[in-house]
Amino acid sequence: MGSISSDIIRGYNDTMILYLLWDSPSYGYEISKQIKSLSEEKYVIKETTLYSAFTRLEKNGFVESFSENVTISGKRRTYYRITEQGRQYYREKCAEWTLTKEVVEKFIKEGMQ
Amino acid sequence: METIRNYLETMFAKLPNTFEVQKAKQELGQMMEDKYTELIGDGKSENEAVGIVISEFGNLDELAEELGIRNVVIQESKGADSGIRNVALAEVKDYLHDRTRSAYAVALGVFLCIISCCGYLMNFGRSWRSREVFAVSFMLLSIAVAVGLFLFSGFVMGKWKFLKEQACNIDFATAEYVHNQRESFRVTHAMMITIGVILCILSVLPVVIIDSLFGWSHGFGVVGMFVFVAIGVFLFVVAGNVNAGFTAILSLNKRDTIGGCFVPSQKQVTYKNETISQIMSVYWPTVTCIYLSWSFLSFDWHITWIVWVIAALVQQMIRAL
Repeated sequence: MGSISSDIIRGYNDTMILYLLWDSPSYGYEISKQIKSLSEEKYVIKETTLYSAFTRLEKNGFVESFSENVTISGKRRTYYRITEQGRQYYREKCAEWTLTKEVVEKFIKEGMQ
Repeated sequence: METIRNYLETMFAKLPNTFEVQKAKQELGQMMEDKYTELIGDGKSENEAVGIVISEFGNLDELAEELGIRNVVIQESKGADSGIRNVALAEVKDYLHDRTRSAYAVALGVFLCIISCCGYLMNFGRSWRSREVFAVSFMLLSIAVAVGLFLFSGFVMGKWKFLKEQACNIDFATAEYVHNQRESFRVTHAMMITIGVILCILSVLPVVIIDSLFGWSHGFGVVGMFVFVAIGVFLFVVAGNVNAGFTAILSLNKRDTIGGCFVPSQKQVTYKNETISQIMSVYWPTVTCIYLSWSFLSFDWHITWIVWVIAALVQQMIRAL
């Protein structure tokens, strides 16, 4: 099996991030780690990709950022929280994916290689 | 971790120093640090951890849109700014070494110039003729050596002319090295200046002491005064020149890029108006001329110093415009 084409998955980085923020706010590295483990290490998101997704989501009002002190080192870390609009957008993306998958699936045949 | 920090700083060095870019750099740095800490916690070796973090960093092109740096990134890929010369750490060390050597040479030269007149001040009981010969040869000899030292300093620094003439930059590691050097020189610098000032203030002491102790001095008192002043000036020149070397390197990077703020070098006074800034570049030389001409023409040295006070006031007012 080859690796994931970053062109294809790019459109769904937002979906993954929103999914991971659904229950509770989180921060950069935590999210990239969860993406890695949930995808069973098949997809590792680059730091720049992740940051770019965060800024885009924030600009569109799908997430809000706030910073919080990290207790041990006294450093501040930026956390992201999903907004109501973000949840709405996530649902739309899910529907879009179901449709996309349905369509593409029709053209995928097992054992053609 | 140091490697990662250097990597990040170098990646960002040429980007404009804006809020967005600063924020992105900080966020990315935080993510890298988190990842690195965890990898080390998982028992990875330092090299492995650094390798993984850097390989998973991605590409700044991706952020171009968000950061408003599309132009910079495009220029970069076209190699449009290849005219900028990167000065490596080894070169910088060489430069600082040469700069220190030349600082001592110049300072020694100035020292000799100041004491060159001392031959005339000595008052031995010998004949007028031999005193004259001694005085002249002492003066010529010191000035000759001084000029030699100035030339030497010029030769040494000659090969570093490009730093001024060409657009150069330094990377983060170098900036940090120079900054640390400057920090460790700070105490020495302060000591040199302080001792120099003290010597200048105390320079009249030899005259007073020797005269009062012996009632005669053969001019040794005055010679002592010149030597005190000369040592003081020697210290000023060394301290100033060595420090100027650090500043010269640290201000190589353009101020409006992230690289320019690796290390806060020195507050540069900028005037909003172009004409004013041009006038101000000759301001202090002009003031010096006024001071010297007035003083020498009128010999009112007791009052002419007021020029400096007024000049400083006027400068502050212009700056406030």
